[in-house]
Amino acid sequence: MGLTEFGRVTALRLKRRHFLLAILAVTSSSRATSAEPQRFRVAFANLNEEPGARIEGLGFTGAEIRRSFELASRALPFDMIYYDNGGDPEKALGNAKDAISRKIDLLIEFNSDPAANAEIGRELSAAGVPVLAVNYRIPGAPLYSADYREAGRIAGQALGKFAKENWSSQTVVGAILGDVSDPSSVVTERIQGVTEGLKQELPELSPVRLDSAGHPVRAGGVLAKFLAAQTNRKLVLATLDDPTALAAKSAVESAGRISDCVIVSQGADRSIHGGASERKEIDPANRGSIVLGSVAYYFDRYGYEILPIALRMLQGAQVPERTSTKHILISAKNVFVEYPPYDMN
Amino acid sequence: MKDTHVVASIALSILVVLGNVGGAHAQADCKSLVKASPFGPDDQTGATNRITAAVTKAAAAEIQTGVVIPMAFNLVDGVPLFGTRFTKTMLTSASLVPGGEYGKNKLTYMEDTYLSQSHVGTHIDGMGHIGIMDCYYNQTPMGKFVTQNSIKKLGLENLKSFATRGVIVDMVKVFQEAGKLKTNPACRTPCLDGGTLITDADIQAGLKMYNVTLREGDVVFLHTGWGDLFQQFPAQNATYNKAAPGLGKAAASWLAGQKVVAVGTDTWVVEVIPSEDTSEAFPVHAILLTDNGIHIIENVRTDLIAAEASTSKRATFFLSMTVPKAVGTTGTFVNIEAIR
Repeated sequence: MGLTEFGRVTALRLKRRHFLLAILAVTSSSRATSAEPQRFRVAFANLNEEPGARIEGLGFTGAEIRRSFELASRALPFDMIYYDNGGDPEKALGNAKDAISRKIDLLIEFNSDPAANAEIGRELSAAGVPVLAVNYRIPGAPLYSADYREAGRIAGQALGKFAKENWSSQTVVGAILGDVSDPSSVVTERIQGVTEGLKQELPELSPVRLDSAGHPVRAGGVLAKFLAAQTNRKLVLATLDDPTALAAKSAVESAGRISDCVIVSQGADRSIHGGASERKEIDPANRGSIVLGSVAYYFDRYGYEILPIALRMLQGAQVPERTSTKHILISAKNVFVEYPPYDMN
Repeated sequence: MKDTHVVASIALSILVVLGNVGGAHAQADCKSLVKASPFGPDDQTGATNRITAAVTKAAAAEIQTGVVIPMAFNLVDGVPLFGTRFTKTMLTSASLVPGGEYGKNKLTYMEDTYLSQSHVGTHIDGMGHIGIMDCYYNQTPMGKFVTQNSIKKLGLENLKSFATRGVIVDMVKVFQEAGKLKTNPACRTPCLDGGTLITDADIQAGLKMYNVTLREGDVVFLHTGWGDLFQQFPAQNATYNKAAPGLGKAAASWLAGQKVVAVGTDTWVVEVIPSEDTSEAFPVHAILLTDNGIHIIENVRTDLIAAEASTSKRATFFLSMTVPKAVGTTGTFVNIEAIR
């Protein structure tokens, strides 16, 4: 993986600018010392911070993403500026222009509209400001992104393995429950991944798609109807988000079918796991749950993953063209390792 | 039955995966996980070894006026606690009932039953409180020394005196003077907001404010203002517990390098919450307690001594704090006073 052309040019510009700034700082300020770290002005334009807006069809909110940047930047030489794109391409473009006018050193852009991203890329390039794209490509900019297909594959494989180990002599059906008719790639790739993961373990199994239109309440009803038709069968169920997994579990319990179903979800958001005293669904003390786990997307850690890449860019170091989230299955066994609780002392 | 009972099979498979981890304690290589103690391979005491007669004598010079400043919160039902933790006091006063007196002299008596976890209120963390896997202070493989009711090594009975010099560092003033104080609206007086990272540079700035140089054997207290939320119990318990301003890892290592005996704050945790890296659990606890044998004192009332230091421009005092010889325990509530 090499530095992008855009990255090389901006890195050179930045090096020159920082060299001059450094000379200025040394000569003009008697308080400046060589031990003081260079500080950078970094802007983060978030996808959507509207209350209730769910990020990429998962249970995370924009506020959680922003908070991760606030926390991660505490120990970095960054002065952060935050923007909310509000899911609006025009607003995203306006935010990018405002960031340029505020003489930022780097923009981290999380915006899903390709046309707006292309224009943002052009504007920033013309201003000599490097861009780091989040989840959606911006021409010439390095990308940090979730790997939706891989996350789906992990879920499918976990379900398939469970069925192979526990229901080898049973008839097993598979289903994917959630907003399955959403045409966006963040959903279609997850579904593709789940299907591939299941087939890896159970080649004969083709999962049925159960459409909840993204409403957890509706998910329970859809699943209940499906379960009623699956007498004497076992069900491996992939849910596309955690609220849907919790609704599905409730539906399975209501149908008296907990012996016949296991669920693996996507997201690992705070609705499904929590602290030592909270007793959420995925919890070390709840190892018998039919919710085997949820694949982590770590949207609540994006700041910790992305800001170090931004720092390397600003220091003129090479960064990969694409860095992907390291998804893993969060289960009762590892939830407190991955998400240490702090409600104890 | 396996095929028809999913819940049981899940539990079974997890048990199989866990193997020996469940009942017996996994044996880790403690020499690679935890630092050796500077006080010798058999030491169970930790940093109170530093409080020698000379240290106590030097600290006594801090007593100039005899004024005593309280540094502990009242221990009372309703103060901030986590989850299922509780405190409950029950009074035995049966002899006060007419006819229940003892003897011709009509003697009566009362006593209390106090039900509580040990790490509540103003309290000290002992060497048995925090480890990495089963490795605790001084590379102790704690799995060998744990029983159902207590620990057989590193209990509080091993501690020495805390008769030493205390130092108050006013982080609120430091952040105010640096123009970076971000307060919390629930605080009635200025406070560092939850999640505010305190660096070694911040601590050094606070020491410089009152011309203090740390000495080996000091106990350092940081005033963050967060304790105001504790004082508003129970109204602000949730806010108090949800986050905290506090030490980052570099600051903890710096303090360890100063050979202090304990670090206390007016928060429930001493370290910054959320942590610098939220994928780590209480890293400052491990640096101070596990690696360096330095005690942590939580929920300290720092506002009064911080105000006194601000008035007198003197940030040092003689520390009065005693720890019960409670055998095999990992921590206890304490009373603290600053004698000026």
